Amino acid sequence: MAFSLQLPKALRKARWKAKIRDRERCEHPHVTIIRGTQAWRINLRTGMFLEDDPNPADVPDELMTYIKDEQTWKRLCDEWNRLYPNNVVSSDVQGEEQDNDE
Amino acid sequence: MTNNTAPQKVRWRMYLLDRSKKRPATFASLHPHVVSSLAELRNSVTHATGDSLWVSYASDLTEELVKNVLAAKPTLGLGLFIHSLDLDTILPLGSCFRRIAFTTDGGFSSAEELAEILDAENRSDLFIGGSVNRATETITFWRGDLKPMTVPFSGFERSGDGTEPDFDRFSVIDCGQTVQLGEYEAAVDAILYERDPEYRRRIAKTRLQEEQSFGASLRRLRKQRGLRREDFEPDLSAKTITRIEQGKVRRIHQNTLKTLAKRLAVDPQEIDSF
Repeated sequence: MAFSLQLPKALRKARWKAKIRDRERCEHPHVTIIRGTQAWRINLRTGMFLEDDPNPADVPDELMTYIKDEQTWKRLCDEWNRLYPNNVVSSDVQGEEQDNDE
Repeated sequence: MTNNTAPQKVRWRMYLLDRSKKRPATFASLHPHVVSSLAELRNSVTHATGDSLWVSYASDLTEELVKNVLAAKPTLGLGLFIHSLDLDTILPLGSCFRRIAFTTDGGFSSAEELAEILDAENRSDLFIGGSVNRATETITFWRGDLKPMTVPFSGFERSGDGTEPDFDRFSVIDCGQTVQLGEYEAAVDAILYERDPEYRRRIAKTRLQEEQSFGASLRRLRKQRGLRREDFEPDLSAKTITRIEQGKVRRIHQNTLKTLAKRLAVDPQEIDSF
């Protein structure tokens, strides 16, 4: 079941959403920020935006602070891991380390 | 999702066939020419060009449009029919317009979201609605530029937590960015990436050079399919997959390529487009 993060009222009223859907373009674990016809993907491993268009600066600081709160971030990572058990947030880094050890 | 590489926005002349008093205000950003009577319709057809966009909420006006266009006018631009249509009307409509979008069961976005999508620069990367066909087990989506895209039910794999898509509860939400099938949601971005080579090419152009190798494509596609490296065994070992993904295999044997493609359910030559 898709996960939709409950955002503060002011952000919801301004039409902001944060989602992890059952089917995502998933080479990197991420959360998708949605407003109207625009979407921003944030890498759950690095905390960085996956694309520079639309402009990441258009996402309000209040929203970024909210989702990067330690508890919220953990929840997002847990939800991603629940939906994508074969591409979990932490394991790929370990996998790469193993690969490099070969 | 990547808007800077989406096709340039084309401003079209919009005709809104509608008798609702409130709805035209919803489409205000598109400056529609509202047509609510037969006289207005005939006049509009006379002045319309091949770049026009016709959006109809009124079936009787749509039928009259067909009669007028077939009698007097060359092909119009795009036609979007929100009301339900029967097959007898769809066929002549197809010859009136360069492109049409319709559903037999009214599966389009709300007027508010539809207006926003049609006015968006990235509208071709958004869905405005679609139709579920149980007989063929497919969903045909309409993009914001009214181009169709048909996806089999099998394209909506069960979620990692076991949630199954419910094809009886279909809708397009999030301003054309999400397909909702009951409790199950799919990103339109993911569907386009999977199904549209042109969309993949646009995405690929934005990638860093080191991310454009065959190995990087294989890795992305494997992740997209939710597969582990071990899932290619016994045909290919996890170690071999790792070596290919890391670019340590200079020349990939044809049989290996075929094995990879078969497991990933794509043509061998398609792998490096991901």
